[in-house]
Amino acid sequence: MLQFKLVLLGDSSVGKSSIVHRFVKDTFDELRESTIGAAFLSQSITIHPHDGNEANAKDVVIKFEIWDTAGQERYKSLAPMYYRNANAALVVYDITQEDSLQKARNWVDELKNKVGDDDLVIYLLGNKVDLCLGTPDAEIGQESNEDGDDEQRVRAISTEEAKQYAQEQGLLFREVSAKTGEGVKDIFREIGEKLYDLKRDEILSKQNRQINGGNNGQVDIHLQRPSTNDPTSCCS
Amino acid sequence: MQNDQQRLSLHNRAVLTHPYKRLGGAFPVKSPSVPNFHDRVYPGHSSSDPALVNDDSILSGHPTAEPSCLGQASPSEHDGNLSVIDLYGDEVESQRVDDDDDDDDEDQDGTHSDDLDLVPGEGGHHVELDDVTAATSKSASADGVNNTHFDRYGFKKQNNYISKSEYDSWWGDYSQYCVRRKHKWQLLLEKSGLPVTDDSPARFPSKSERLKRYVRKGIPAEWRGNAWWHFARGQEKLNKNKGIYSQLLQKMKQIKKQNPNEKQVQDLDIIERDLNRTFPDNVHFQSASYNKEEPPIIKSLRRVLVAFSLYNPKIGYCQSMNFLAGLLLLFLDEERAFWMLVIITSRYLPGVHNINLEGVNIDQGVLMLCVKEYIPEVWSYIKPSIDHHQQNNKTFSPSNNKVLFNMQKNEFLYRLPPITLCTASWFMSCFVGIVPIETTLRIWDCLFYEESHFLFKTSLAVLKLSEHELSKTKPRSNSLNYSWTSNQRNGSMGQEDSDMEIFQVIQTFPKTLLNPNEIFEKIIFKRRFNLNRLDQDEIDRCRKFVAAQRLKFKTYGELLGSTASEAELTSANVNTDAKGTHITSDAVNEALSSEVYGFKKSLAGVHWNNSIKEKVKQMRKKKDRND
Repeated sequence: MLQFKLVLLGDSSVGKSSIVHRFVKDTFDELRESTIGAAFLSQSITIHPHDGNEANAKDVVIKFEIWDTAGQERYKSLAPMYYRNANAALVVYDITQEDSLQKARNWVDELKNKVGDDDLVIYLLGNKVDLCLGTPDAEIGQESNEDGDDEQRVRAISTEEAKQYAQEQGLLFREVSAKTGEGVKDIFREIGEKLYDLKRDEILSKQNRQINGGNNGQVDIHLQRPSTNDPTSCCS
Repeated sequence: MQNDQQRLSLHNRAVLTHPYKRLGGAFPVKSPSVPNFHDRVYPGHSSSDPALVNDDSILSGHPTAEPSCLGQASPSEHDGNLSVIDLYGDEVESQRVDDDDDDDDEDQDGTHSDDLDLVPGEGGHHVELDDVTAATSKSASADGVNNTHFDRYGFKKQNNYISKSEYDSWWGDYSQYCVRRKHKWQLLLEKSGLPVTDDSPARFPSKSERLKRYVRKGIPAEWRGNAWWHFARGQEKLNKNKGIYSQLLQKMKQIKKQNPNEKQVQDLDIIERDLNRTFPDNVHFQSASYNKEEPPIIKSLRRVLVAFSLYNPKIGYCQSMNFLAGLLLLFLDEERAFWMLVIITSRYLPGVHNINLEGVNIDQGVLMLCVKEYIPEVWSYIKPSIDHHQQNNKTFSPSNNKVLFNMQKNEFLYRLPPITLCTASWFMSCFVGIVPIETTLRIWDCLFYEESHFLFKTSLAVLKLSEHELSKTKPRSNSLNYSWTSNQRNGSMGQEDSDMEIFQVIQTFPKTLLNPNEIFEKIIFKRRFNLNRLDQDEIDRCRKFVAAQRLKFKTYGELLGSTASEAELTSANVNTDAKGTHITSDAVNEALSSEVYGFKKSLAGVHWNNSIKEKVKQMRKKKDRND
């Protein structure tokens, strides 16, 4: 099993916690409590590396350790503690909130300046696509009665604009919906694959060392972690 | 999925039992789940629902008392005892359980026989909220209690950490405990010449060891608002600031007029986003399913938070204050909730919510010092590892060795251990949402009586209680898995891995502390735990020390050519090749480490005295019983 640290950043109420909960528990709450400080969650996935190498054709389990952070500007001073040693950062914005992309850009700048790790995978994420789908009549009628905060909103940030920015900066990019789950699993699969690619040489050399007994048996990637006692983490 | 289902069922229920129409005026003013609203008093309020404004229940209590709330008595019709029983709704058994009175001299009052009188009359008056037809007098059955999904404050009983059956089995005992404690409070107030006539005492006895113990065992829920206000000296604050709150609301109105688009005003925008994200699972904070009318408590919450941001621009609005204000509003009217928020953020948590959040870091430094001093057994799990210093530093010079040693002493005050990512929120929200609600409220009881050191004491107690769970985590720096962090590239594999498990424990364990007595009986009331020596004076001194140390680290860090950013004051500074820097960092660390905080040491005699006192007490108890 490989273990990666991932941090979520972005403006307040863009849906960071909702994305994590969709990924970890596959649930969605229309109203989720504001995150104070940060929350820690974890989830594992299996990827199928396709590097053409026969020896490595088997599945790889990746465990993500996820730091979900508070979005308010002033919490930024605590952020270095969260993204220190992170392998990946999900920078989230809300496609219906114009400011939120600018906030995301600020985060990307900060990550690039402060982390100084070329292998850090940054993923730009536009959330809440469900709010801007077509056929508004049917959806308003059905859903807005149930959830006080639900409404169709106007898209404020075009896909093109964000996509172009992501390309310029060399970020992964996707628009998703934590509410419907659209695209959420893909994010983590992509990140897993990307990190596996980046670390492949390191991983293989470790494996070899271990097979040759070069490391006193200290490292064994096939051993499972003891199960944790956190019911919020559902390691598969 | 469960959440969604429950939300749905709540909406269905709410449709059946429209609270405004059904319950108008039926509620007592001072009930724990019935917040007070003085909407008409304050000019900032404008209700679009005329029914709301015309309904007497606005002034007499929160009209949206949730459907599943336990029975509530109308105090004007009943004497104290009846209302006690009604509030808790459960069948109270006549046999006395002494669990709450161990180690307590209050038994000398000879209250045993009085307690027996507390058997609920079968004809106790209730509003059975689960059932529309039961709005008249009806005895709440245990079934009625157990079938509801929400507790007496409107919070959901069940969550990811506590099952419904766990909750019910605990509440069965705990509600009886509450009844007994309330009775004791009534006697205490009577004896102090402050008899309770309307179940909403506004005055309380002066501070004493006994009163402190009573508070630690829990203030009766329906008295909490008044008691908090009293112990935190709220009235004093209000008297000095008469009319200010109304003025702030006026100002708020003007700002809204000038900026119809609230997005232009930073704090207003963030407050707006958080209103519906404050206790979304609490029925008082939810709008009914059939309309989108904002519940009154949300309107109050907006006014309190906006008024606060205008009152104290240094803080403005900080996420977490929504939970502080939200909980206050469940127990106090709007203006008093506002002043309590002022008191909490200035007196108890100075600087914690400021824009730079430095108060958070200081308090976390203080907490870490306290953990190290009072519960070293827990410190060994959470202290920062020196490994990465050593392993980053391939060429180990003796001088570096010394530097590293010195850095160990105090550096954690500046480079806080990662665990503070979890514990910071304990302070920011005063444990709201960190521990289950009854436990939170008990902590608040003590906070207002004993001041801020109680938050540290509680934090230490929670960490101590989690020790067993921590001991199950994988030993540190002996990991069997790859962890691809930047540290790992430098060879300290595994550290992060075990840290993750420790995070899990520290984040999860507090949520299981359903029973407030757990913390109190296992830790706070135990004299053998050193952490109970911690007092306010110690915390005040400690805060000063940590603040000064952090400032020095920051200044020296800048001197060393690093930026002030915490992320960059890493061991890299010490390992720089430049010889000049070596000397500087050596000197700096030498200087810093020479200042070590000295905790007050207890005299050996203190324990001895306590044990003697204890024995005398026991003997007295025995004698009383024999008499």
